[in-house]
Amino acid sequence: MAVPDRPAADSWKIVGQSVPRREDAWLLTGKGCYVDDVPEPPNTLHLGFVLSPEAHARIVSIDADAARALPGVLDVLTGDDLAALAQPIRTGFLLEGHRDTSRDVIAREKVRFVGEAVAVVVAENPYVAEDGVERVFVTYDPLPAAVGLEAAARDDAPVVHEELGTNILLESTFTTEGLDEAFAGATHVIKETFRTGRIAGVPMEPRGCLATTGRAGEELTLWTSTQIPNIVKTALAKLLDYPESGIRVITPDVGGGFGTKAHFYPEEVVCSALALKYGRPVKWIQDRREELLTNIHAREHIYAIEAGIDTDGVIVAMRCDMMANAGAYSSYPFGATLEPVGGVRFVLGPYHICNYGYLTRAVASHTCPAGAYRGTAQPTAMLAIEGMMDRIARKIGIDPAEARRRNLIQPEQLPYTTVVGMVYDTGSYTEALAKALEMIGYEDYRANQPADRLIDGKYRGIGICCYTENSGMGVAAVRARGWSTLPGFDGALVRVASDGKVKAFISHAASGQGHYTSFAQIVADQVGVPFADVSIVVGDTGQTPAGTNTFASRGTVTGGGAAIRACLVVADKMKRIAAQVLEVSADDIVLENGLTMVQGVPDMSLTVREIAEVAYSMTSHALPEGEDYGLEATDHYDAGMPTIANAVHVAAVAVDAADGTVEVERYAVVHDCGRIINPMIVDGQIHGGAVQALGEVLMEELVYDEAGQLQNATLLEYLLPTALDIPMIEIAHIESVTDENPGGFKGLGEGGVIGGVPALTNAIADALAGIGANVNSNPLKPSRITELIDGALGKT
Amino acid sequence: MSGGTVEVRLTVNGADVVRRVEPRYLLVDFLRHELGLTGTHIGCEQGVCGACTVLLDGVTARSCLHFAVQVAGSEVTTIEGVTADGTLSPIQAAFHSNHALQCGYCTPGFVLTTVELLRENPTPDEAEIRQGLTNNICRCTGYVNIIKAVAEAASNMPGREG
Amino acid sequence: MKPAPFEYVAPESEAEVLDLLGRHGDDVRLLAGGQSLVPMLNLRIVQPAVIIDLGRCASLAYLNDENGALVCGTMTRQITAERSPDVRQGCPLLAAALPYLGGKAHRNRGTVGGTLAHADRLAELPAVALALDAELIVRSEGAERTVAAVDFFLSDLTTSLEEGEMLHAIRFPKAGTTARSAFAEVGNRRHGFAVVGIAAALEVDSDGACAQARLAAMGVGATPVRLAAAEQILEQGSLSADAVCAAGDAAAQAVDPTDDIHASVAYRRRLTATLVQRTVHEAMDGTRRAAA
Repeated sequence: MAVPDRPAADSWKIVGQSVPRREDAWLLTGKGCYVDDVPEPPNTLHLGFVLSPEAHARIVSIDADAARALPGVLDVLTGDDLAALAQPIRTGFLLEGHRDTSRDVIAREKVRFVGEAVAVVVAENPYVAEDGVERVFVTYDPLPAAVGLEAAARDDAPVVHEELGTNILLESTFTTEGLDEAFAGATHVIKETFRTGRIAGVPMEPRGCLATTGRAGEELTLWTSTQIPNIVKTALAKLLDYPESGIRVITPDVGGGFGTKAHFYPEEVVCSALALKYGRPVKWIQDRREELLTNIHAREHIYAIEAGIDTDGVIVAMRCDMMANAGAYSSYPFGATLEPVGGVRFVLGPYHICNYGYLTRAVASHTCPAGAYRGTAQPTAMLAIEGMMDRIARKIGIDPAEARRRNLIQPEQLPYTTVVGMVYDTGSYTEALAKALEMIGYEDYRANQPADRLIDGKYRGIGICCYTENSGMGVAAVRARGWSTLPGFDGALVRVASDGKVKAFISHAASGQGHYTSFAQIVADQVGVPFADVSIVVGDTGQTPAGTNTFASRGTVTGGGAAIRACLVVADKMKRIAAQVLEVSADDIVLENGLTMVQGVPDMSLTVREIAEVAYSMTSHALPEGEDYGLEATDHYDAGMPTIANAVHVAAVAVDAADGTVEVERYAVVHDCGRIINPMIVDGQIHGGAVQALGEVLMEELVYDEAGQLQNATLLEYLLPTALDIPMIEIAHIESVTDENPGGFKGLGEGGVIGGVPALTNAIADALAGIGANVNSNPLKPSRITELIDGALGKT
Repeated sequence: MSGGTVEVRLTVNGADVVRRVEPRYLLVDFLRHELGLTGTHIGCEQGVCGACTVLLDGVTARSCLHFAVQVAGSEVTTIEGVTADGTLSPIQAAFHSNHALQCGYCTPGFVLTTVELLRENPTPDEAEIRQGLTNNICRCTGYVNIIKAVAEAASNMPGREG
Repeated sequence: MKPAPFEYVAPESEAEVLDLLGRHGDDVRLLAGGQSLVPMLNLRIVQPAVIIDLGRCASLAYLNDENGALVCGTMTRQITAERSPDVRQGCPLLAAALPYLGGKAHRNRGTVGGTLAHADRLAELPAVALALDAELIVRSEGAERTVAAVDFFLSDLTTSLEEGEMLHAIRFPKAGTTARSAFAEVGNRRHGFAVVGIAAALEVDSDGACAQARLAAMGVGATPVRLAAAEQILEQGSLSADAVCAAGDAAAQAVDPTDDIHASVAYRRRLTATLVQRTVHEAMDGTRRAAA
């Protein structure tokens, strides 16, 4: 009897329930262990990095005498010192049109953004390390800087990487055949340029690492606040020229990731290299200023869109010209290609668009490198296409929801392959839109909406976002993106111990999304044990199988898929053992709630413990002939190309006509992520993402001046939403299960922000549409909103 | 520590402690590294985010904005001090059942803020809850469930601290 | 972000504080509530050699009624003032502004004197002090002087306090039955620092017309500024919607804000006009209304 490759349809019992979280037990009571909480060995050294105050400059000299003379400072090292210990960081991409960059772990000769490290102080404690940092005197020869996206793209802009001779790190084009003809056949051509400002993930816990060595340097352990421990491990092995098997990367509890921590950073190399050099543990904890200055930035995008439509408002041709500010280096592992490639491919959304062409560019500049932040180009791409939908509606005089209905991919068209080759497997685009509009009372809202939108001194509007979300990418997906350092698969080792309790080791890393609970729900169902008998290990390369780890909404699909497959192997073995002990056929055995039993005959059963004791040879009953000892299985699961989740967000806002502040009065989501494991956790992800979207639209922006100085590297001046800013978010679910993975799951981590950015922007645009204002950018701070109002009313 | 140290005595979670520290040593570092009470977290060291919130002589305070020497003689209560052995307090239980935490980094600060909020106003309405929570930042939950948790805790613990 | 090393002293009397201030020249900082100073220390923006902690000087925290004035000792915690019936009754503008000072955790520890002496251009109490013509009582070793609010705030983070001086107390005039006041601020987020804020203190006559108007705005200059042009219009007596609107417009024209990453000059002017209307209406009828 072969091991099934899918779970039985009726096996999902705990999956689907809002089980309260296992991890709350330690996180709620102050017993969480984040990287700065990991017990420090007594001889731990602490690092302080000297950061460049210049955006672009030659390093002329570094005088560290005063720092070294400080009691408690062991040494100060420069880029040349680190270059002897570690190679520079390169993405090593295999992607046509990508120009790779080389980043020394500590800058040598040149600095390329404010905040780039030029030296590191090694000290006895963090206070003294900072004292040392202040006493390192660096002289620079400043050079002209290229900062803003459009400025850095110009031919005469200062070049960030001389050896490349250009700031264009990626240029890629695509077109379907006959695009010009398709445009010629359009009744109207609508053009708009959407601009979004630079923001960042800003997890509440800054980054940090603690590197320790053992066995005279044969073992290197790095505790680091990361989402990608396996990726960090292989990168360290390569850059330090150190045996990979001697490295263990452990993520303790992580205080938020959001993609920010799904990157490999130079400090991880420096900590590790210096631990090996000194033979002592080396620790570094980032402060908030460093966090905002140097952790991955994102979303500084421009989309110039042209849509040709017919008389019904159906898109017959579309062009997208996109630029993304990549910052000073192509970040690792996703690189400068991440946002610009994603943007032009995701912008098609859930729409049937057959004639399409794009040009996309990644532009280097003397700013912090860009990379993945929750949503990763999808929020801005959906902003663009959903902004076009509203413009189509206005152009031909129909309702914005109707414009979408006329363009949405219909249920019978699924599975649907977009013109750029993405396969939309299952989904609920039209159903979700209908339901969301009903939830928010759309028809009544429109019926009561005055032409000028003004009620009680506030402009009121409603905005829609229909989106598709890329999730669960596997090997084929990462290869298609040229990501040569990402394996693409994930692994799970599921082990039943001799006491009958189950532990699953999964190649993911938790940063708040509930892995300890949702993975346990899967394992409990598939091994047939109570939820309380399952525990999960993630985030430790020393314990889990190899894998690609946690980003891009792939944990549920790839980790869940691997766990299911390993569970099925274990379950099958349990049935075989039970069958032999009970002297029945294995086909008659079911696993339920800690028992392996003959279906329908509870008296003929064994506990999981009793089965395990046979497997571990702890009972007089012999292991069946041909079986191996132990009760565990490892599976490496490849999810292939992404599975596509979808949702609709609808927001109703009130814009104060006098002071430009925005209140979100209603917010509804209809969300489809395939089979739901834990509805409560899904809702929490949507809430969190939607509020990040609210921040992105209303208040967040990292502002560089022309000299490349970041103006707001503090939480006083980079504003994050608080409890006074948010709507109570209403959520309904649809489950369009997919056959693409064993669980029928789709990813969901990023959906909240993908849907929120366009819905909120469109709501504000709708509120101001009555006076003819054109809203095509983010953020929309009060100052910008009143500028739009005054401009529209002719008051400027 | 590099500079001259001074002796500081204070009470933390009901226990008297005595240590020698530099005057510049922040209270949050004192709690975390001198006393090993790592439940109080550092998010900004500017007093903005609230992850470092403790009770200082019974009222909420930002432990990143105080020096250990400055609070000599005072009583400090941390998340460990409002956690009973083996059980969740009504506030913690409400956070748990309402999924009012994800990564957990901001959570101790929210719990202590809620302790003070409900002690001073046992029956807050939603607007008062939002106002009471506005000084703590969470990046994961979007606050929706935290507001629900505080409302539920209020209804579960009339007039009692926990 | 950890502070640079400093020497710390916590005297128990004001006399000792003044003596220490006199001896340490300019390389000394007073630590009141710390909510403004400690962030600067943590960022190493300031690195004093000596910090004098005022927290042990019990005599510096008081709220006294003195001859028609409310005298507030410098170390009075903001939350204490906020909840004081004497403040609510006697100085309603101060009571109205205090809830805007940061969050509860800040006001539990921050002090009335500390925020005034710190003089951040976006702090609320300097505008309140200016609108009320408060007097700041300054002491040094063996000397005391009184400084009118209008002379106290010189620039962002700069007051007329000299080396060796400390702010001892603030004398707020008490509001009589003819006083009407309101405070409003708007920022880029509901909670947080303001872009523009206005403290409005009006006096009405027996007909309910405006006899005196004092409006102080924060966020449109390096210090709080009196909106004289608006005050003049309001003091003509009528508080009709048109008059208040005109007052707001006059204020918007007269102020000279700069722009920054948070808001433009145009927005700051617009907000000035809006907040003049909001505070005057609220002062008069006790409710927040949408501006015209």
